[in-house]
Amino acid sequence: MNIDYSQEAPAVAGRLTLAEIEELVAKPLDTRPDKKYFIALSISGSALMIGAICLALSFYYGLGLWGNNQPIGWAFDIVNFVFWVGIGHAGTLISAILFLLRQKWRTGIARFAEAMTIFAVMCAGIFPAIHTGRPWLDGYLLPYPNQHSLWVNFTSPLLWDVFAVSTYFTVSLVFWYIGLIPDFATLRDRTSSKIKKTIYSLFSLGWRHSSRHWQHYEKSYMLLAGFATPLVLSVHTIVSFDFAVSILPGWHTTIFPPYFVAGAIFSGFAMVVTVLVFVRKIFDLENIITMDHLEKMNKVILATGMMVGYAYGMEFFIAWYSGVQAEQFVFVNRAFGPYAWAYWIMVSCNVIFPQLFWVKKFRRSIPVMMVVVILVNVGMWFERFVITVTSLHRDFLPSSWAYYTPTLYDFGILIGSFGLFFTLVILFTKSLPVVSISEVKAVAEGAQPSHHGGVVNA
Amino acid sequence: MSENLEKQSLDNNPDPNYWRSFKELYNDKETIEKKFHEFEKGVTDEFDPNENLSGLSRRKFLALLGASAAFAGVACTDYRDKGEIIPYNIKPEEITLGKPNFYASTCTGCNSNCGILIKTREGRPIKIDGNPDHPVNQGKICSKGQASILNLYDPERIKSPLRKNYNVFSETDWKSVDDDIINVLTNSGSKEIALVTHKINSPTTLKLLNDFKNEYPNTKIYSYELFNDSIRNSAWLKSYGSGNFPLINWNEAEVILALESDFLGADENRIENSRLFAQSRDVDSKKFNRLYVAESGMTLTGINADYRLSIRPEHQLEFVLGLISELKKKGVVQIPLDFNVNIYDLAKKNNLDSKKVDYLINDLSAKKGKSIIYAGNSLPEDVHIAVNLLNEILGNSKLYRKDSASVDVLPISNYKDFEELVNKIKNNQVAAVIHLNSNPVYHLPEDIGYKEVLSKFENVFSLSETMSESCQISKFILPINHNFESWGDYKTRTGIISLSQPVIMPLHNSRQLESILLTWIKKDSQSYSDTIYHDYLKTNWQENIYPKYSTSISFDKFWYSALHNGFISFTENIDSNLNFNYGAVKFENIQSSNSGFTLVLKESYSLGDGRYANNGWLQELPHPVSKITWDNYAAISHSTAKSLGLKDNDLIEVQVAERKLRIPVFVQAGNTDNTVVIELGYGREYSGIVATGVGFNANKLLSKNSDYSPWIYKNVKISKIQGKYILASTQEHHSFDIPREQDLHLKRHIVVEGTVSEYLRNPAFIKDKHQIEHESVYTPFEYKEVKWGMSIDLNKCLGCGDCVVACNVENNVPVVGKDQVLKSREMQWLRIDRYYSGSPDDPKISTQPMLCQHCDLAPCENVCPVVATTHSPDGLNQMTYNRCVGTRYCSNNCPYKVRRFNFFNYRDHFRNGYQENPVFALLNNPEVTVRSRGVMEKCTFCVQRISDARSEAIRQGRKVKGSDVKTACQDACPTSAIKFGDINNPEEEFYKYRNHELGYYSLSELNIKPNVTYIAKLRNIHSEEL
Repeated sequence: MNIDYSQEAPAVAGRLTLAEIEELVAKPLDTRPDKKYFIALSISGSALMIGAICLALSFYYGLGLWGNNQPIGWAFDIVNFVFWVGIGHAGTLISAILFLLRQKWRTGIARFAEAMTIFAVMCAGIFPAIHTGRPWLDGYLLPYPNQHSLWVNFTSPLLWDVFAVSTYFTVSLVFWYIGLIPDFATLRDRTSSKIKKTIYSLFSLGWRHSSRHWQHYEKSYMLLAGFATPLVLSVHTIVSFDFAVSILPGWHTTIFPPYFVAGAIFSGFAMVVTVLVFVRKIFDLENIITMDHLEKMNKVILATGMMVGYAYGMEFFIAWYSGVQAEQFVFVNRAFGPYAWAYWIMVSCNVIFPQLFWVKKFRRSIPVMMVVVILVNVGMWFERFVITVTSLHRDFLPSSWAYYTPTLYDFGILIGSFGLFFTLVILFTKSLPVVSISEVKAVAEGAQPSHHGGVVNA
Repeated sequence: MSENLEKQSLDNNPDPNYWRSFKELYNDKETIEKKFHEFEKGVTDEFDPNENLSGLSRRKFLALLGASAAFAGVACTDYRDKGEIIPYNIKPEEITLGKPNFYASTCTGCNSNCGILIKTREGRPIKIDGNPDHPVNQGKICSKGQASILNLYDPERIKSPLRKNYNVFSETDWKSVDDDIINVLTNSGSKEIALVTHKINSPTTLKLLNDFKNEYPNTKIYSYELFNDSIRNSAWLKSYGSGNFPLINWNEAEVILALESDFLGADENRIENSRLFAQSRDVDSKKFNRLYVAESGMTLTGINADYRLSIRPEHQLEFVLGLISELKKKGVVQIPLDFNVNIYDLAKKNNLDSKKVDYLINDLSAKKGKSIIYAGNSLPEDVHIAVNLLNEILGNSKLYRKDSASVDVLPISNYKDFEELVNKIKNNQVAAVIHLNSNPVYHLPEDIGYKEVLSKFENVFSLSETMSESCQISKFILPINHNFESWGDYKTRTGIISLSQPVIMPLHNSRQLESILLTWIKKDSQSYSDTIYHDYLKTNWQENIYPKYSTSISFDKFWYSALHNGFISFTENIDSNLNFNYGAVKFENIQSSNSGFTLVLKESYSLGDGRYANNGWLQELPHPVSKITWDNYAAISHSTAKSLGLKDNDLIEVQVAERKLRIPVFVQAGNTDNTVVIELGYGREYSGIVATGVGFNANKLLSKNSDYSPWIYKNVKISKIQGKYILASTQEHHSFDIPREQDLHLKRHIVVEGTVSEYLRNPAFIKDKHQIEHESVYTPFEYKEVKWGMSIDLNKCLGCGDCVVACNVENNVPVVGKDQVLKSREMQWLRIDRYYSGSPDDPKISTQPMLCQHCDLAPCENVCPVVATTHSPDGLNQMTYNRCVGTRYCSNNCPYKVRRFNFFNYRDHFRNGYQENPVFALLNNPEVTVRSRGVMEKCTFCVQRISDARSEAIRQGRKVKGSDVKTACQDACPTSAIKFGDINNPEEEFYKYRNHELGYYSLSELNIKPNVTYIAKLRNIHSEEL
């Protein structure tokens, strides 16, 4: 294939006019949901209900319904938490970092990725709250002034988590909403329904597409992007501190912060690809979310997958190099002990399968990428499982070793978190523009002033 | 009319009409009307909320105000607090609120009858400690004794007399039961009245039984013990002609050879044995005995052996005679007898290392007169006679105690007596069978036919605390008092009589066993009174015991001082003139033949003979060797399992003659090949919700005639059957096959070991090898005053688990049940870790009590987000339950994994709220919070005792000292392996152990500075093995 590197590839394919873009993106909001939509919603809603029931029973009877036990204080609860926080990272990376790096191709996928960030962080946020033995006292984790003069413990990474995740959620939500304002205005202007008009008017905050508005908008968007960028690194760094700050072999590792961030981007991109492949098909967005987009994301997956693979290797090397018996044992035990199956699922899904993306044909093949990204999702969930559970199940004292077996409630809550995520995603596709109309318009052909008359070599 | 009234009222009649005003006197209508209304109109009215409130009367206003206050009060009440607090109206003289009282008494859990101190708070017993003055147990008490308090508060105790009607028990009253029974007894005619009881240790009870016999001359007493020392005693009688087998000065023995004997574990007298044994495993005096154990199943004694020889039980006679022959050959001993047994042939037969046999023979010859050979109760008479002979010719009889000997108040009956009883019942020669707190239906071998014949017999009366298999087939069940509600005296030794006294009124409508018998003796159901047995006991002491004591003090003083002390001691001569009867030494069948497996039936470590089956704490106490809870199992050796294709949890069928039992297998390292070891006491059918369905009733394998001994059977068949039964162990099974998992406890310096000879060569060898000074980035906190610490001497620690139960009782630790143990969620704050090293055939075993190490730089503390676990200025790692939200992060970060999480409300979760029964609330130590669901907990170093000591010190106007405090585990430890005190005070005894040259910290590389010091274990083995 001949690629002309002298020209930037168009971010929008199919030579869509600005009106067509608007029409295309707004279409799902203007039409009534069809039967398929309700089927999808009922499936995800059922999953959500399963989770809700399992959670309600866990509240009623206690955490004993889960598989957690004496050495394994954390299992599915924290695995799911780290998994979902990781999923969120792709959105912020795409919307903030790629924005700052002036990557035009981000515009087609940024909105969706950001929405996924918010939904994923919502899923993630549930777990620290419900994993406690007495969730009704979770308020103790917040530093509020009280007459007992009781304060939180600022040396605990779990507390850092509370701040990191809540900050991350707030910033992501504000960032997302700011980006939505011009689109709300566009929708307000398009719609004839009175109810919709009221809602859109409310959320568009009186946006009139004036230059002054645009100027303020661009400035605040830039500022928020700058604000969100360090969060991409900090949130998962802090999540990794939950493990790295402890003294447990397998957790107490300095490589964790970069390794976790890479892993988060890896899993986040995989999740974005998983969902976008369906969205672009269902909503006829192939011209906006093009194969080029998917290929670029697959490249990121390949790169971050290699980083993660490097981290896996490096952990073993350091364990050997440190000369600490317990540390060495934990890693050998991971690969060959009772949880070897989980370890090898992780390695094959995260390191071996993404290698297919070295081949351009595979990077651009929908079926191949679907298989790989789903495996990456699975693999990254197992990565957190391997880190959390296999390190705990055989630590310092062989007398307290034990095996962890998840219960139906553990699976139910995991399913419930997916149910919540996809319910929110499905609702999102029908209630908000899944692609940023204003941003895509801005990168469409001929939208920007150009020395060559605005059109790049038609 | 009014005139009449007037007249009447003015008359001087007997019921004068008092008047307050003239109007009243002259019966003014209005006034009379007013008389019927207490208040003026408008002051009161009927309450009607629909009425306009503006016309609110004072009364209505007050009613509404009151109601709103009441509603507000109720609405704001903590709905969870359903408890009532009832204060004393009049303070009892002997009770100070918040201060415990201690009463001396005697434990009746086994036939050792140890002296105990019962701690009571506001009139309810909450903890059992050993009586420090009692000569037998000297302040220590075993796990069964500790846990017996749970039996007192067992909600399933029988609460009133029960009568069986059409196979259903219904509650009745004492009078009707007593009348009916007295009727049966008086009309017995020439028929026998059989009293079936456990061993009688009480002189007064014996007197009472004799009185009973006098009243009902056809009475016969059948006393039995499932596990007893009758064989040992009869062998002694044959060897020496008189007395019982003597007590042994274990502390003076330099070499001990235990043959199929668990004298440190399940055997009687183990508290005293352990104490004396550990006295010569002492790092201070550098005195170390050497323990050889020749046994089939791995026992608590076996895991503490310096050399363990795995020998099939039927080879024991050959082994002892082989030793004698070898010693004779070497000229160490001279005897006129010749057995011609080659010990090395036997060693080969049992795959023994001949080096170990050499060591044993050398040690026995070198330590003549300073060694002891001790055979287990279950071995047949021949072996005991041979052992007596060997001890005699080696001059070891010097170690037999001359100051005290065991006595039987009443010798126990044998199986033949019970067979006779069964025949008599069959022939209609028995009027009544009365079970005196005994359960022969469960305990006796089935082939005696006791259960069969009794279930058709009408007059069976059971006197029992709880339901049992024997109660189930009785006509009447009479609830009897728990020991802590009873009077009693006990004599198991010469020169000591222990007393027990009630410390609480009977919780239920029960009576003391002896009082019931006294009522029957008096043949009058009304003759019962609460003090009936107390008076009888006191009279007996006044008439029979006090005179012998020959003292000048009055009887009252004598009695009350005896009660206060819990025992009396006096000099009583024992026959110490021992002449061995060589004529008794005649052995046939030295070479024992066995065409199948050998079955060894042992007493359960925690449940005894099954009496403690309904005690959750004991059920959940891990087996000292296998760490299995809530079940018994067939223990087989590694290679036997391999050859039969068996794995842990596989079901097998054990067949002895025609008797069969299905039971799961557990592969026990160190067991002898082709031997099956099963513990008895499990598989109870009728004993309450805790014990029902727990374990397997291996009593079914017992027989009245055994081919070897009542507890050991030869020619046993084993076959694998379909199915599995999962055993719940608190420790993951050790893999002997995977090199990276082997010896981790040594590689990681969790357990540090050495040998005695290394230590004697270089006392600092542990420090030389292991001590590394770590730098810390933090400036250490300065502990200026008292700083609490503990030291645990691994040389003295036997791994029995008594401390675990003591901790459970002291700290209100709940029972979680088998399902939770299987999930690895047991709640015990203190556990005994057991590690294997070496080969599965001849493993070396290390045990280590593991509890919160109260690290100075505790990893748990800095990760708790809500500061629920903190450090105190006196060095304690504290848990604030109220603040804990249950993130479990602390537990994850604890390298010792000693933190325990309440995954459920275990009091509710276990057996459907069994522990939430109101009676259970009485059991709890009021000084320790009962933890709720979702909260982390762990060892506190018994902080409530520290607080108590501190307030006492303040009261006395001084500072608290380390020696003021004793933790519950320390109190219980029979060998005093646990020491507790102030790390900063060089004048205390504890300081020596804290800074001992053999002291080390577990996982010291982590530099978290624990406050528990372990004293390294020294094995007294020959150094050339190193």
